[in-house]
Amino acid sequence: MTSLALAWRGMTRQPARSALAVVGIAAVGALLFDMLLLSRGLVVSFGEILESSGYDIRVTPTAAIPGAGPPLENVSSILSDLERLPELDEIVAMRFGRGVARADGSGDVVLSLMGIGPGGAGSWSIVEGEPLGTVGEDGRLPIVINRSVAELVGLEPGDSLELAGYRRDTLAPPPKTFRVDGIAEFVFDRWNELTAVTSLAAYGETLGEPDHDQADLILAETRDGLATDEAVTAITRLRPELHAFSNEALLARLRQTDFSYFRQISFALTTITLFFAFLLVATLLTVSVNQRFAEIATLRALGFPRRRVVAGLLWESALLVGSGGLLALPAGWLLALRLDAILRAMPDIPERLHFFVFQPRALVEYAVLIGVTGVLAALYPVYLAARLPIARTLRNEVVG
Amino acid sequence: MSRPIVEASGLTKVFPMPAGPVAAVTDVDLTIGEGESVTIQGPSGCGKSTLLHLIGCVERASHGSLRIDGRDVSSLRDAERSRLRLTRLGFVFQRFFLLPMLTARENVELPQAEAGIPRGERRERTIELLSFVGLAERAEHRPSQLSGGEMQRVAIARALANRPALLLADEPTGELDEATGAQIAELLDRVHREGTTVVVVTHDPAIAARARRRLSMRSGRIEESAGDARPERAGGR
Repeated sequence: MTSLALAWRGMTRQPARSALAVVGIAAVGALLFDMLLLSRGLVVSFGEILESSGYDIRVTPTAAIPGAGPPLENVSSILSDLERLPELDEIVAMRFGRGVARADGSGDVVLSLMGIGPGGAGSWSIVEGEPLGTVGEDGRLPIVINRSVAELVGLEPGDSLELAGYRRDTLAPPPKTFRVDGIAEFVFDRWNELTAVTSLAAYGETLGEPDHDQADLILAETRDGLATDEAVTAITRLRPELHAFSNEALLARLRQTDFSYFRQISFALTTITLFFAFLLVATLLTVSVNQRFAEIATLRALGFPRRRVVAGLLWESALLVGSGGLLALPAGWLLALRLDAILRAMPDIPERLHFFVFQPRALVEYAVLIGVTGVLAALYPVYLAARLPIARTLRNEVVG
Repeated sequence: MSRPIVEASGLTKVFPMPAGPVAAVTDVDLTIGEGESVTIQGPSGCGKSTLLHLIGCVERASHGSLRIDGRDVSSLRDAERSRLRLTRLGFVFQRFFLLPMLTARENVELPQAEAGIPRGERRERTIELLSFVGLAERAEHRPSQLSGGEMQRVAIARALANRPALLLADEPTGELDEATGAQIAELLDRVHREGTTVVVVTHDPAIAARARRRLSMRSGRIEESAGDARPERAGGR
């Protein structure tokens, strides 16, 4: 009979206790799995959102997160310089601000307003109507709105929208008339957020700053076949006063700043969870060994070498941790879905952002961590069993 | 005397105790030949079980030399002693110590599997042994479904599984009533008659009287030896 078979028979001998142990490990394992999904989930999800825009480089005037610092001045000159770089394919400038839309029957509506340069396709996708067009013959300015604006104001593609821009927290009169070209899903939209995008020129007009040569951000796409870092280096070499970030660099910064809370929380909870898993398995196995001293001493007296006794205990640990660990995966996934929904309901969170994201790497890390914990937890009971004095144990069992 | 299975010289075992070292076995010289039947008697704490444990290689001697089946066991590493116990020695314990999660058949098969005996051969051997101890019909019963006497018979079958040169029994009837104890004693006699060297530690004078050679221990020493040391052999269990 193999060590595995013997360990299995030992476990099934007390099915209730073994089942409770497996459930306990599954509960701890589910938490561990979730913490691993959380540890990088936000970064992975945010990276996917960044990638979905189609641009892999962001250029800003300062090292601040794009949109958080002062605007870029003389944008036309910057764009002209960047367009000459062979490392870059598409380049587009963007502005971020707010506007007030006149909604029939529901008063004024404040919305996030973006301006984007000609030909730019930002981080949104048209779900109804057409992409952003140009100024119409009737003088209406082009605009694409999200579903929330469309529903709140009651708009369809082709409808007109009266919109005034905010300039330094002051409404810039008079409002302009826009033509709704399309309805889109914006990837950075928060839940129920009101968002619209227009052309850079229309944005300037709406804010009453048609001559301001500014942008909050320039998006650029690396030419096919080149590495993003090469393009970033080329931009920095050409315009040293600018700050160019690849998506990876931006994510790395976010990982160190805004997202670090989640990383720290997941690290702390992962450590605590592993400690509980260790305590649970170590306690179960130690109790199991203590209850089976006579059995172990008998096996040794019959001629079973230490390594066989050790192998039996390691198998027992592997069976407990393996069964509980496998059970933990679906349980952890269901728990992750629920926790993700709770966290995503927080204010100011982009609707498409997820906190718990599955990656194969998380599964590998989970398997390694739970496996190592199982082995470490088995060390003390293994030591007890391996060092068990055969004769004294048999004598004590008889006397006891 | 026939070929010696056990050769002990100056065998001593001292246990460290809080109140000072206690000598459980002191300066024992003993030779047991192949095919002998030996009982060791004595009052509680006289060292008879410790002597059995020393001979059974589950305890290391503090002093003296011990050869089992021609091998000096004092120099053997733990794994080698385990192998010796597995292949050359058989143990029968007072409390049977069958593995509770295994059936009678599996308990008897277990040492054979560990010794690397092929499945078919060990199945055959197990059936033969369970028949020998009269429990072929109870082969698939677990220890909890057996009486004390039946468990001890399974334990004897398990001890014989790998055809040991020496069967060691420590108070094999200590947990049994008189009638069942007598059956176990008779079974051990049969084991001996079929050629296995048997050493039994017992309190029971009736059991001791069945052996050809009777040793008596007191305060860790063999005080007297009675009976005939000539082996009585028959087939080969």
